[in-house]
This record gives sequence, C-alpha cells and structure tokens, in this order.
Amino acid sequence: MNKPNQLEKDILKVALAGSPNCGKTSLFNGLTGSRQHVGNYAGVTVERRSGYYTYQQQRVEVRDLPGSYSLSSFSPEEMIAQQELVDERPDVVVVVVDATALKRSLVLLAQVMQNSQRIVLCLNMSDEAKKSGQRIDLELLTKLLGFPVVETVGHRQLGIDDLKAKIAEVAVQQKVKSRLMLGERLERAIEHVADALEKTTVPEGARQWYAVKILQNDPLFVNRVLERGKPGREAVEVAEKERATIEAFTGEDVGMYVTERYYGFVDGLLREVVVQVSHIDTRILSDRIDAIVVHRVMGIPIFLGVMYAIFWLTFTVGAYPMDWIDRLFGFLSDVIIRYWPADRLKDIQSLIVDGIIGGVGGVLVFLPNIVLLFLGLAILQDSGYMSRAAFLTDRLMHRFGLHGRSFIPLVTGFGCSIPGIMATRTMENERDRLATMLVLPLMSCGARLPIWMLLIPAFFAPYLHAPMLFAIYFIGIFLAFILALILRNTVLKGEEAPFVMELPPYRLPTLRSVVSRMMMSSWLYLKKAGTMILGISIIMWALTTYPRYDMTESKIDTPATAVAQAGTGDAKQHSFRQLEHSVAGRIGKFIEPLIAPMGFDWKIGVATIGAFTAKEVFVSQLGVIYALGDPVGDSGEEETLREALAKDYSPLIGFSLMLFLLIATPCMATIAVTRKESGSWKWPALQFFGLTAIAYIISLAVFQIGTLIGF
Amino acid sequence: MNDPDTPIVQLSESLEDYMETIFELVRDNKLARIKDIAKARDVRSASVIPAMRRLSDLGLITYEKREYIDLTPEGERVARRVYARHRLLTRFFRDILGIPHEFAQKDACALEHSLSDVGMDHIVRFFEFIQSCPEGGDVISRLQTCSLVNSDKKQCTGGCAVHREDRVVNQAQMKSLRQMKPGQSCNVVRINGTGAIRQRILDMGLMPGINIYVERLSPAGDPMWIKFQGSQLSLRLKEAEMVLVVSEDT
Repeated sequence: MNKPNQLEKDILKVALAGSPNCGKTSLFNGLTGSRQHVGNYAGVTVERRSGYYTYQQQRVEVRDLPGSYSLSSFSPEEMIAQQELVDERPDVVVVVVDATALKRSLVLLAQVMQNSQRIVLCLNMSDEAKKSGQRIDLELLTKLLGFPVVETVGHRQLGIDDLKAKIAEVAVQQKVKSRLMLGERLERAIEHVADALEKTTVPEGARQWYAVKILQNDPLFVNRVLERGKPGREAVEVAEKERATIEAFTGEDVGMYVTERYYGFVDGLLREVVVQVSHIDTRILSDRIDAIVVHRVMGIPIFLGVMYAIFWLTFTVGAYPMDWIDRLFGFLSDVIIRYWPADRLKDIQSLIVDGIIGGVGGVLVFLPNIVLLFLGLAILQDSGYMSRAAFLTDRLMHRFGLHGRSFIPLVTGFGCSIPGIMATRTMENERDRLATMLVLPLMSCGARLPIWMLLIPAFFAPYLHAPMLFAIYFIGIFLAFILALILRNTVLKGEEAPFVMELPPYRLPTLRSVVSRMMMSSWLYLKKAGTMILGISIIMWALTTYPRYDMTESKIDTPATAVAQAGTGDAKQHSFRQLEHSVAGRIGKFIEPLIAPMGFDWKIGVATIGAFTAKEVFVSQLGVIYALGDPVGDSGEEETLREALAKDYSPLIGFSLMLFLLIATPCMATIAVTRKESGSWKWPALQFFGLTAIAYIISLAVFQIGTLIGF
Repeated sequence: MNDPDTPIVQLSESLEDYMETIFELVRDNKLARIKDIAKARDVRSASVIPAMRRLSDLGLITYEKREYIDLTPEGERVARRVYARHRLLTRFFRDILGIPHEFAQKDACALEHSLSDVGMDHIVRFFEFIQSCPEGGDVISRLQTCSLVNSDKKQCTGGCAVHREDRVVNQAQMKSLRQMKPGQSCNVVRINGTGAIRQRILDMGLMPGINIYVERLSPAGDPMWIKFQGSQLSLRLKEAEMVLVVSEDT
C-alpha cells in the first residue's frame, strides 16, 4: 500500500460514501458536473455512478457509492459500499454526512476510519444545521479526527471547491493512524485478530476491517478468511475466542456491542465539537405539515390527491408534447416517402419509415411522460413526501409481499409500464424492487386502452362496457398482487427487508437538483432503452416484411396510375397478403394449433406478435389483417372492424383475448427497461415467459370452461 | 456546571474549604458565625479570622469584624462551584465506587482541590452517563454486590451476563415497542431479533438507553412513527416488536 506521491498517478480514485438522504448525489453532481457514467453493478439493481473532474491538472475519478447507513453484508447497497471501500481501496474516501443528523451519520465515518487512511469528512446541509443553532468547531474536529473536515451545501453547490482542495491535500499527505476509539476491550480484541491475520494474505490496509468483521461473525468475511488456508482458520479461531470473551463480559452479542462502541465514539466526538448556541426547532413547520399530511383521516385522501396530481402531470400535460413528437415523426416519414427516389431501394425506405421511425418513434413518444413523471417524482423525493407516502401505503403493500414504496410505481404503471419500472428506483431493497418491476406490466397501461376500446364494444352489450373495462383493470391489479406474493415466496424469497425508514424533515426541493434528477433519468431512458429498442424494432420490422409477397413485385412495377385506379381496396388486400406471407404471418399460422385452445386463430396470433412492439399495434395489425386500413382514423371504419370481429369470434373468445393481452408479453420497451433496471436478462426473461405462460393458462381455462358451461 | 465566560477566583485549598463550610452553614442556618465555622472545620476561632479577612478582601463574603458572615453574590457562585465539586466527588466515591461514607468525604476533600477542570469534567460526564443510562443503576448495584460478595474479578464479570438475563426475564414492566400507544414515551432496554432488520434498527441509532416518543400510527394501523434524539423513523409493528422498552408513564 505504499504508494508514491499520489499526484504522480494518472488518476486519483475518490469514493463518496454516505447514508441515504445525506445529499450525496447532489454533491456528486457538483463535483463532476455532467461528466458522469451511470450504470448498474453487475447483476443487481444498485446503480453504479462514477464521474470525473480535473483539479490542478490532476484527473480525479469520483465514485458515488450506494447510500448506506453502515458497511455490512446485509443489503446489496451496504455490501457494495463495503466492497468498494475494502476491495477497491480508493485513494481518498469522502464521507458525506447530514450535518443535521450528525449522530446517526457519523457511525459510517467510524467504520470508514477502520478501513481507510485518507479520509475527508464532508458536513453536508451545513446551512440547515446552522439554522437550527448548531455550531461545530471545525478546527477541533479536524484535530480530533486527524483528517480534514469541510462544510458543504450540496444542493446549492457551496463548498465544492473547498472539498476538491481538501481531497487533493489529503491525497498527498502521509497516512495518519486512525484516531478511532472504541474502548480498551474491543480495540484489544480487534488488535489480536488483526495480528492473527498478518500471516494470511489479507492486505495490510484491510486487516482492521477484516478483523472487525470476523469478530462479528460476518459470513462473507469469515469465508474469505477461511479460504486462505491454515493461517486463515487460525485467525477465525482467534476471533471466535475474542468474541466469546466479549460476549461473556458484556452479556450482549458482539454486533450490538460494536455498534454501541461506534455510537460511543461518535457521542464523545460530538460532545467536544458541537455547541448548540440556540435551540431553534427547525422541525416545527415539518411537524405541522406532517400533522396534516399523514393525519389519520386526511392522510389517505391527501395522498390520493398527490397521486392524481402526478398522474395528471404525466399523462394529461404530457399528452401535448407527445402529440408534437408523434407529429414530428409522422412528418419525418411523410418527407422521406415523398422525396424517396421512386422505385429504388424500397426495402431501405420501408426499413427507415416502418422499422426505425415507426419503432423508435413509438418509444420516443413516451419521453414527455417520462420527463414529467420524473419531475413529479423528483419533487416528491426531494421534498421528503416519498417516505410519507410509503408510511401511508405500506400496510396494504406489505400484505402482498411488497413495500410501501411500491405503490407509486404501480400506479404509474396504469399510464405506462416504462416510467413505472423506472420509478422503482426509489426503492431501497432489491427483492422488493424486482417483485414490483416484474408484476408492473399487469397494471393495464395507457397503450392497452385502445385495445379495450376496440374489443369491448365489439363483443359486449353497451350496459356491460363500463363493468368490463373496470373488470379488466381490476383483474390486472388482483393478479399483480397475487403474483407479487408468489414471487416473494419463491424466486424472490428471503429475509424480509427492514422497513425501518428515516422520515427526513420536509425540504423545499431546489430547481437544480430536481432538474438534474429529471435529466439524468430521461437521458438514461433515451440512451439505453433507445439502443435496444432500435434493434428490436428492426427485427420486428423484418419479421412482418420478409419474405416479400411475390405478387407485389408485379404490382409495384405497374404504373402508379394503375394502382390508384385499382383503389385502396387492392392496396389493403396487398398488405393483408404481405402480412400473411411474412415470417410473422407464418409464425402466426404455425402457432395456430397452440393458440387454438384459447379460441384464437392465426390472425389474432399475428396481431398479438405485433403487440410486442407496442400494445396498441394490436389494433392496427388487426386492421391490416381485416384489410380495413387504419381503423383508428375514421369511426366508420372502426365500426366495420368491430363488426368483422364480432362476426368471426364469440364474446367468450373476446374475453379470453382481452385477458391474454392484459397479462401476456409486456411490450418490447418494457422488456428493455426491465433489462436495464434489473441489470440482467434473467428478470426480463422471467417477466416475458412467466407472464405469457400465466396468460396462456388463464385464457385457456376461461375459454375451455366457458365453452363447457355453454357461453 | 460552571460558566466558562467569567473567570473564577483562584483560591487556596483551605480557603476553598472555608467557602464550602460557609456555604453549608448559610444554607442551613441562614447565617454563619466564626464560632460555627471553627467548629465545623475543627480549628480554633482565632485561626478562622485571617481566612475570613482574606475572603472578604476578595469580595467573596461580607465580614466586618463581627460575628455574622454572609456570602456576596460572587462568593456564592464560587462556593456553589466548590461545593458542587465536593458533593459530586463524594457521591461518586460513595454511590458508584462504593467507598464508605467517611472515606468518601475525606477523599473528596483531598481530591477536589487538586483535580484539574478537565479531569473533573470527565468524572462529571461519567457520573451523568452512568446515572442517565438505564443500565447504569444495575451496573453499579452489581459492582457493589460483587465487591462485597466476591473479590475474584473473573467470577464477578461472568456473573454479569447471568445477572443481566435475570433482570430481563424478571422485568415485568418490560413491553415491546409495538404495545406502546401514540403519545407515549418509553426507554429502550433491548433489541431482539437477528440479521438485517436488527442491524438496521441499530444502525439507525435505536439502541438500549434511548428514549422514544411514539408519534403516530399509519392510518392503516401498521407502520409506527417514532421520534428519538431529534430524528424520526417509521417501522413496521413487526419490527417494533423486536424493540423491548420500559414505558415511562408507568
């Protein structure tokens, strides 16, 4: 670990550690500006963020560790924060703490002091702390800790330069011996275990931390040490002996004892450096708001009001820019078709217009929804209301194995699954988050509404329209809850995640942080989902286009006037033949025996495959199949499509079809976003095949039983 | 305990003792006489007088060659401080370390003058801590029974764990946090359970000795909203069940 002068190194590695809600992210943004890279840690839903800045010709890489209250192996966030510090060994660790809740935040500092030598303590939200009458003797604190302390206000970007200067300063400093004091007994025990570790291959800098962890019997570290052969086994034995001694003396388990000692250290530190010049309770206003917002009677109505406002913002306000984007792409297609050299490279034209513009455009259309939803969510989160919402809804959600924080994403799913899945990011626990993500497509999204609008009037009497629509939504919700419960007891089984959650005081969200959150999410959506969706769009296009219907060649060769004279009927006839002839059509015919037990024929099969691009495509595909042109345009034509459907299929098939469309195969954008958000293909695959299988079983059962009892 | 802003007059050991005696007499009898002071300090009256002159010169007492002595406001401040130190040390020696009363008095007298402010401050902290800590009382009583019954240190500490379990089992008024109603306060005694949930509860600072106020329950009746040490937390009733507390209202 004896590194030469840090400035000679190419890149200085800095890690930002801190608890959730300490304002670490805004500080990270302040340090790195827009030079960030956001991804996922392999295989987990935890976001991995890193960025760069240059300070006095020194290039610095900053890693924003996941927010965690402590370094342990319990939750993925804590585990990753721990691994980043212990295994990656950054050059400098910046511990960000909430200056208004020093006591709790500083425990993490005590832990970092056990495994890192170059530390900068960053007291964030120092303005709020000062307002409450708290004064901190920075000089004394620096002296007691042995490393620099800076005060910052992350969301206003105050103190960032100071922080950069201190990071640079610490990077070249001699390592200082940790001034952590945990009391004779514990320190001696740690010392003994660390000495025993000397014979193993555990690197010197990490020995302290390994010692603490194997003392606490943390399985991850115990196994790591045991893997190191005989000296490892001996070290574990030493730890076991020390543990027994401590537990005999204190009468409590080591875990509790160690945590108590951390708090002891923090308490002592705070006693020395904090002066409460006055007691201004900055929470008075916050408490008053809470008295109303989570009130026994008013709490739920207010919550529903907030939900409605978010919904309105996302889908009603969002409808306008959506329309603009839609028109823009329509215009783009028109321009390309008009100016495309006649009869040349028709396939490329089709690829660009139908495949790329149609597919990617269909996804980009949701961008305004996403931007606005994230605007709403950022405000909820930054203001502190999000945790109140979780407090209000946890009972209901928990009953189904979900979490209070699942509620908002699920409700968002009624608009569109994509922002809903992205909204699960506010959830801390991985299993809760995955369960929410996987069942989210069951919330009947806005794109499925046109399907219900087409099918319900086609098969059911007017007095049944509203109840059927309601039933479809209800069945979706019901299934989502049941599936969540099943998931949490099977694939996502495990110790229940603690709900123990901080309720930070209300804060006025700052424009800067809200906008940056919003931009970040939107950009991710564009970049990641966009690239994947582009690929899938092209595949879907190819499936419905190739192989070309032979007859068309002669048709295209005939003069344009001839086509015009043949009338639109012929063109539609052509589309129908083309679709039938295409791979998608062949697949439709091929799977007919498979879907027949649900009452479906190949035409429905093809349309359902099309629905994978986007749910509403089902309607236009059926339109093509019935050679009736775009049914969404003219109401007269739509009427005909409905009549045609009613003639071909029974209401029972209609119902079975609706169930299938509700449950089966989320659209490709949903799959892509699930892939992105879950960090692995495993979950979208489960979502895709699992939901389709369930849909198949349910539709089949409904059709067969329905037929049996004579519907 | 002392106001750091105003300088305290530096007194010699014996003068401090006199201030202490005068303070006690004034407190008990409303006034102090040379005779009483001499008696209390076990010296001759004649030897008291020079000390009184000196204290009078320092503006700490009113003494005009007459029998009655009273403390000036400044004098009272000084005396209070000295007295508080004395009392605290006596109590520390007697109540916590278990030193018999007369020895405790004597040791306190000897130590109060020589102990530095910093040293004193730390003893005060320890004293306050052990008194405010709910487990403190137990620790002290166990320590004392231990030193009475058994001089073997190892056995003594070993018995501690057993002792603790006994106390936990016997404590009839111990409840789980779940049983507390909104508006009630309680003290945390123990955190049960294992794994992530327990660790999270501890990480959030919810540990033995902490005072909790139950603010409210969610409208659905489940998560509980608590306040402690200036922060707010919500936890499910199932988690609250792991937190054993003693109600403050009973």
